[in-house]
Amino acid sequence: MTKVGIPRALLYYQYYPMWRTFFEELGAEVVVSPPTTQAMLSSGSSRVVAETCLPVKIFLGHVLSLVGKCDCVFIPAIRSVKRKVYNCSKFLGLPDMTRAVIPESPPILEIDIDVNRGKRVLYQAIYRLGRHFNWNPLRVKQASIAAWQAHLNYQQLMSRHGLTPHQAIARISTTSEAEPEAHPNSLASVRAAIAVIGHPYLLYDEYVNHRLIHRLEQTHNRVLTPEMLTVDELESATVRLAGKARWTYDAEVVGAGGHYLESGADGVIGIMTFGCGPDSLMMAMVRRYASRLKTAPFTSLTLEEHTADGGMLTRLEAFLDMIYRRRRRQAEVCV
Amino acid sequence: MRVSIPHMGNLYIPLKALFQRLGVDYIVPPFNNRRTLSLGVRYSPEGLCIPFKLTLGNLIEAAELGADTLIMPGGFGICRLGSYAATQEQILHDLGYDAQVLQIGLSERKLLGFLELFKRLSNNAPWTKIISAFRFGLAKLNALDRIERLVQKVRPIERARGIANKLYVKAIKAIDDADSYDALKRVQVDYIDQLNEVARDNGVKPLIVGITGEFYVLLEPFSNLDVESELGKLGVEVRRATFISEWTKFTMFLNPLGFDAKDRIHKAALPYLKRDVGGDGWESVGEKVFHAKEYDGLIHLAPFTCMPEIVAQNIMSSTRENIPVLTILCDEQIAKPGMLTRLEAFVDLLERRRRASI
Repeated sequence: MTKVGIPRALLYYQYYPMWRTFFEELGAEVVVSPPTTQAMLSSGSSRVVAETCLPVKIFLGHVLSLVGKCDCVFIPAIRSVKRKVYNCSKFLGLPDMTRAVIPESPPILEIDIDVNRGKRVLYQAIYRLGRHFNWNPLRVKQASIAAWQAHLNYQQLMSRHGLTPHQAIARISTTSEAEPEAHPNSLASVRAAIAVIGHPYLLYDEYVNHRLIHRLEQTHNRVLTPEMLTVDELESATVRLAGKARWTYDAEVVGAGGHYLESGADGVIGIMTFGCGPDSLMMAMVRRYASRLKTAPFTSLTLEEHTADGGMLTRLEAFLDMIYRRRRRQAEVCV
Repeated sequence: MRVSIPHMGNLYIPLKALFQRLGVDYIVPPFNNRRTLSLGVRYSPEGLCIPFKLTLGNLIEAAELGADTLIMPGGFGICRLGSYAATQEQILHDLGYDAQVLQIGLSERKLLGFLELFKRLSNNAPWTKIISAFRFGLAKLNALDRIERLVQKVRPIERARGIANKLYVKAIKAIDDADSYDALKRVQVDYIDQLNEVARDNGVKPLIVGITGEFYVLLEPFSNLDVESELGKLGVEVRRATFISEWTKFTMFLNPLGFDAKDRIHKAALPYLKRDVGGDGWESVGEKVFHAKEYDGLIHLAPFTCMPEIVAQNIMSSTRENIPVLTILCDEQIAKPGMLTRLEAFVDLLERRRRASI
């Protein structure tokens, strides 16, 4: 059986159930790289020029950790998943860049996704990918339909039940229908609802963000993430803030930021990496909106390779203290 | 209505000619200087690239001079340039300038988009007038680029350093002053002759260095600390494929007809980079591969944090076509002495390579 490696980085958090279903339907076995570690980041960043952004360095570290463990690595080049809305160049250059900087990598399975070029081209691209496993177009079609269904289920699981990708993937992977443990969100003693906005590959990679979500939950805060909103909620908020979405993953920053500022959150934390241009534009938009609405405080944390978490914790604590103080004051006014 | 556009090289000259003929009040923003840069840096989100910061500086300085309609090139594409206009407009509003920032869609509207914009700016002037003004602007653009190409050739082999540059400055001024096709033609012939008569070192075969990378930093000498002229002083002939006139010719006239000068470059890049990654990343890789036999080395200019160029930079170092590449990242921190040291070392390396290969 062919072993397909999937790096646990970048788009993994959005599309993993879809990819896994597709490959398994076609009779392949899927291998996922382990969660990010310091060693992975170092090995990835040793291969590329220093200016390369952190998520890409981590991605390459994951690819390196898959060397020798699988027969091929799946690295899609996703240009556009919505008409006239494009993706960051790192996603487009990913397969070629990996080939250039990791010559020892297993063969790379790539697929070009660009919905602007029409359905026919898209279907052809899917077939070309599926053909590596099964020549029969019908089987490939079945697999892709099953994959799409898995993707829809996954999204629904997150938006309807308020699960994070980790929890949703765990829920999908275990076949038993047992109820998951009580979600910390439903605890009665919630001190504040904190929205964390940013790309999934930053929010859910615990190594990169120094276990931010975990820390927030541990201090009895309810954590709201972009995945808990429906696509419609995200898109309408994006339009209110930015006019028209220009990047594929605009919604999870601008849309989620706008939505949570308008309703529900006591504070919003934006997470971005150093040197990310789209993010710095989008965070600026959310920041401006926050200072106009004055409903909830906003702060943004910039992550980079230097691993000390002290600075981030200090800022996080100060931000939370401010929010608790605000809430206490508001409560007093009500009494 | 007072119109202004950020600087990019000598682009202000054809625009001035064009707007003059249309009777539009066009304000040339102050030339890029330290103040422009520091204004831009102060009011930009920190992670943005030098093109954003400098153009924002231009827009602020133009608004200070009373411009109320600012034009910012942009368009939907993978480069974040697409949403610069909207953000810059907000920043200007926050600073208290009531200026409107118009975005010209470079990628989707092409020639028609430009003409429609000029029609709007000129208060509905007749099409004949717009087209004739546009043609005159193009003529100036072509004249400028023709002179610049010649200057690139003369700089490294002139006997006394600096003459070509002085002539170039004069030529720019003269082209700016020319107010008819005849005058323009005379100026061109005159300066081409003068440049050809500059005393040269005949025996010298200068090193040839290609220069490639992101469009804006290639064409705006302030952003790259005038790297071309510095290379000329070191006795290196600079070859650059990117000229505004070339770009206009292809994007506005020939691409819609199906000709693309970049096809050859893209084809050369294919073994290493299969698809467009936005910006000019694909072209950067292609230029290295395509010109590997012809150039002694390549200088790759990129704004700091420009993702397409980072992808290109990562791929460039592992192509089989092996010529030395020096990547220079341009941002507000770049300083001349540091850059000169790197250029000198690079040129030394190329000279040694050439000696070894003979």
